[in-house]
Amino acid sequence: MVISNKQMNTELFQIVDVEFQLGETNILNGINVMINLNGITGIIGPSGAGKSTFLRLLNKLISPIKGNIYYKSQDTKKMSSQQIRKEIGLVQQRPYLFNGTVKDNLLYGPKLWNIEYSDEELVQLLQKVALEREFLEKQVEGLSGGEQQRVSLARSLANKPSVLLLDEPTSSLDINSEEIIEGLLKQLNQEGIKIVIVTHSLEQTERLTDSLLFFRQGKLIEKILTEKFFSKYDSNEIRLFFKER
Amino acid sequence: MTNLMDILNEIVFTLTDPNIWIRLALASILLVILVIFSLWQNTKLEKKIVWSFFRGLIQIMLLGSILLLIFGIDELWLLYIILLFMCFFAAYTNWRSYPYPKIFRYNFIAIVMSVMIIMTFALLSRLIPNFDGIIYQPTESEGASLGSFVIPVGSMVIFFAMRESGVALERLKSDLLKSKGEIEAALALGATPNRAIRILLRDSFRASLVPTINRVAVLGIVTIPGLMSGMIIGGASPIEAAIYQIVVFMMLLTAAFFTSIVTNYLFTKQFFTSEDQINLEFYNIISKKKKTKKK
Repeated sequence: MVISNKQMNTELFQIVDVEFQLGETNILNGINVMINLNGITGIIGPSGAGKSTFLRLLNKLISPIKGNIYYKSQDTKKMSSQQIRKEIGLVQQRPYLFNGTVKDNLLYGPKLWNIEYSDEELVQLLQKVALEREFLEKQVEGLSGGEQQRVSLARSLANKPSVLLLDEPTSSLDINSEEIIEGLLKQLNQEGIKIVIVTHSLEQTERLTDSLLFFRQGKLIEKILTEKFFSKYDSNEIRLFFKER
Repeated sequence: MTNLMDILNEIVFTLTDPNIWIRLALASILLVILVIFSLWQNTKLEKKIVWSFFRGLIQIMLLGSILLLIFGIDELWLLYIILLFMCFFAAYTNWRSYPYPKIFRYNFIAIVMSVMIIMTFALLSRLIPNFDGIIYQPTESEGASLGSFVIPVGSMVIFFAMRESGVALERLKSDLLKSKGEIEAALALGATPNRAIRILLRDSFRASLVPTINRVAVLGIVTIPGLMSGMIIGGASPIEAAIYQIVVFMMLLTAAFFTSIVTNYLFTKQFFTSEDQINLEFYNIISKKKKTKKK
């Protein structure tokens, strides 16, 4: 696939002929797409469609077997993995917090990048994810699942990323925590952080996303506005997309 | 090996000494008691007991003769070659217990490096065979050959390096598997691989060293270690034996720590790709090995 210079300059990500394999298993095949990330982009599709794999390719936690990924017109193969990961944060399905206090966790990234944070700024960061000041010195083991996931989100934000990738961040949370995180993502997006979220929830897709990448069996089926997606397919079909394995 | 004949003479001389046979005969009284116990309790182990003792006796006498031969060696290069062989088998043993990719090679390199450094340091500084001191005082061990120091101390160093590095490696491996999510979270925040697993490396070294450090801490109160007991039984002054024991413990710990560091750093190199990602193929290999072991 040939990409003209003009296109290169306007798109945030260009994915060109990307293939990913694990052992003998093909996970992603022939992915070609440009993503500009206006609004919140959802990655949807049935289990095993390659959604999480695609997300991890974007911040170079894995590399494609074939093809290229460009970020801001730069080939990610030629960029340092650390730099890409600082710019493009990732929040995983489980929070995977490090042992220690919430503060230790929040400062992990900034210490790597020599970003200075005062305690007051850390408190502001916590308030962003709807956690109070007292949490700063709390040990992470004592936190609830929802609180841990919010700390994990704040930990990624502490690096001041320009893009935030989220891999089913609310799948194991209660409705209350889910709402808080969704509200937060909308707010972050308005503040200018580009957001890509993998979700397996039909309702979340409808509530949260503006455009969609629809994956099925390792292939990108469609890049479509969320609105159009819901008018293009009837509700039974859509339910099947989310359910099928 | 000019003294080969002397050594053979010594073996013959020792074996013809009636005293060792009398000692053995006296010890056989205990063997008879053991057999009587066995018959009394109906364990059906009598044959096995008698057979094991005679077999063991012959084996250990052969070993003793070989040791006599090796201990007689005074040529340093030859002793180093023997140590090298021992390192080879130590690494092989570790690889059998921890059959992960390239472990045999890495552990061999690590053991050889630490044993050679420690032994050379000990010999050059004259920590062993005998420290003459700033004020020279002839010691009892003066006449003994180099081999009778280098080989026993070297074997202890190698054994420790092997065992402790094995413990550290296994701990690190299971921590790497257990903490994949946390490692990836650290990488995703922009950490380098070394930074991402720094705590796991630290824990692995602690796991292997702490038991030995604790042993040193209770020296003399709870235990009289083998080397010291051996020297005392052999007629050395208990104070001299105690100092020797501490010196050897320091050598063992240093060698074990260094071996663990080299082995684990080389091992973790495989855990990551050149693009600082978790090497999923390697991850799958080491996690599969764990499962087959469990079966």
